[in-house]
Amino acid sequence: MKTNRHRLDKIYLSLISFISLFGVVILVLVFAYIFNKGTRLLSWNLIVGDYYPEVYNARSDGVIGENMFVRPENLSENAWFSAKWGIALEDNADFEGKNYIKVVYIDKNSPLANMPDKNDTNHMVGLKKGHSLDKVIFTNNVIVLSREGAQNAILLFDEAEGIADIIFSKPGNGIRGSLITTGYLILFTLIIALPLGIFTAIYLNEFANPGRWYVKWLRRLVETLTGVPSIIYGLFGAALFIPFISSITSSEGGNILTGALTLSVMVLPIVISATEDALKAIPDDFRHASLALGANRSQTTFKIVLRAAIPGILSGVLLSIGRIIGESAALIYAVGTAIKDKIILTEKSTSLSVFIWSVMSGENPNFELAASVAIIIMIFVLLLNLGIKIISSKFIFKHN
Amino acid sequence: MPRLLLIPAIISASFVILIIMFVIQKGASPFLFSRYGDQKVSFIRFMMGQTWFIPPNEYGILYIVINTVYVVSLAAIISSPIAIFSGLFIAKIVPKIFKNLFQTVVELLAAIPSIIYGVFGLGVITKFVVRIASLGGIQTAGGISGMATVLVLAVMIYPTITLMSVTAINTVDHDLEKASLALGATKIQTLFKVTLASAKPGIITGIVLGLGRALGEATAVSMVAGNAGSGPVFDLFKTTRTLTSTMLLGFKETSGLDYDIRFSVGVVLIFIIIAFNILLGHFKKKAGRFA
Repeated sequence: MKTNRHRLDKIYLSLISFISLFGVVILVLVFAYIFNKGTRLLSWNLIVGDYYPEVYNARSDGVIGENMFVRPENLSENAWFSAKWGIALEDNADFEGKNYIKVVYIDKNSPLANMPDKNDTNHMVGLKKGHSLDKVIFTNNVIVLSREGAQNAILLFDEAEGIADIIFSKPGNGIRGSLITTGYLILFTLIIALPLGIFTAIYLNEFANPGRWYVKWLRRLVETLTGVPSIIYGLFGAALFIPFISSITSSEGGNILTGALTLSVMVLPIVISATEDALKAIPDDFRHASLALGANRSQTTFKIVLRAAIPGILSGVLLSIGRIIGESAALIYAVGTAIKDKIILTEKSTSLSVFIWSVMSGENPNFELAASVAIIIMIFVLLLNLGIKIISSKFIFKHN
Repeated sequence: MPRLLLIPAIISASFVILIIMFVIQKGASPFLFSRYGDQKVSFIRFMMGQTWFIPPNEYGILYIVINTVYVVSLAAIISSPIAIFSGLFIAKIVPKIFKNLFQTVVELLAAIPSIIYGVFGLGVITKFVVRIASLGGIQTAGGISGMATVLVLAVMIYPTITLMSVTAINTVDHDLEKASLALGATKIQTLFKVTLASAKPGIITGIVLGLGRALGEATAVSMVAGNAGSGPVFDLFKTTRTLTSTMLLGFKETSGLDYDIRFSVGVVLIFIIIAFNILLGHFKKKAGRFA
């Protein structure tokens, strides 16, 4: 009887353990998916590049001698080199799987590095490493098209005498603008939310008489803020902050400032509860010692208690940053979904998360680009979580 | 000084009231004024409607409310038992060395932003739904469906419920468990009949928090729910439409009736969440009493 029951116990225990692997499985799946999809596009160009591609149209008058350039040694085996023009091309595929010719090397003396712009002949443009070569018409009327591949292009380049027309482009899909916007959002949100949240927490924890009816109400209202869904914050930002900012600046519609105002309301409960937790954890001995030395209550609060609470407040800041980086629904309403390369505070732009929303919600969702940005977001999230763990294990007062 | 500090406290507390005021004010306007050359929107038809939009100015939301409650409940039904078992596992069963690891895994799941769950949902879960559907020979709209929504939500509320369960289970008095073991109960009997029973109020709070998160979850849901024009939709393989996806999908212009009516949907969401919290607060009190 007893052994039977214990055997049943073992079965149940292993069943529970098995079910509990669910979280691990999901985490592995999420990471595997975004890394599998996203690593190919992950590059320095993605981080510092513009979102919108720039197309150049030029012609070349350059005089070319035979085989005057030398193939650089560090060129990959897939690259095709033209000794006549000093460029190397490689076949590449964009996220939709469409082939294009990528410039992988260009000699600085190459005639292609310095060509007059067709639309404005005083302006010089040049082919650069990383550009995509779209179309070339040589003076002998032979045409190079990007879909015919790099090898063919180099053969035709070597036969050609001059270039009548060359179209090339700097590829887009970079996230520099969104990274900067995310930075601005974090900065302005914290500038607004930190003082407000910290002072509120100090009042509630250090000065307020918890028995008073209005203190109870203040606390209840602040706590209710935690349960408000982010999209409702978005509606609120759109209804209050957009008209407000429009009336004091020349902006129309959502912009980075309205976004930061909205987010600051959203992270307010996080800042307040982190600060309050930190204040609560400080032993009353600190306060008594300070008061006994003759400091008054304000001095005690701001010079002793608040200083001791800094690690706790810092972990609230990290939590808030995580929330800001991950937020999408509120910003879609309070700012908008237009991706920008040039960031102006009173204009629309996207944070990294809204960037993903924008590239996913079109006709052709760009999974690869979305996954690359997701990797970057996850790196931030991991670092922030690590920071919070370190702070809470090393610096924060422990409750007895 | 205390008087001066009352000012930031009042500002912080006033935001909840401001949020409700401003969203209601904008959300009520389609029913009160005819600002965009159309007639006013009928409030009764809005609340009772089985079709989202009949041009030029008829909107209906009842079926969307039903869809929302339906998918959120299913998500909770799937997620809660798994999450409670996981909580039990992390707090009581797993060897000490792995405890931190499992706890961190769940914390990371909680920290993943909803937009990433959305990408995951559209990239993996919808494909999974397509495969399931094809087993039964059912066609889906590329996996965009009620089932995908339920699964994404279940994944998203799992860490919330698990972490709350761990906290609740950790606070259970060890003496109770020792007493149970001393009386001859096996480990499983103790875990289920003593530990879980004492942790019930905390676990229910976790489920309530999870449900709240699911009700308000917008981005990920919008990416996998689709936008069914009428309903309610109970077929899990068909596209559905929730309150939040209605607010987000096709959102482009920032004026006009189509914009304002989204605020009306927001007002309905606010009231559902309030009603829900009152209901479950009541339920929680009861559960606490009989624990």
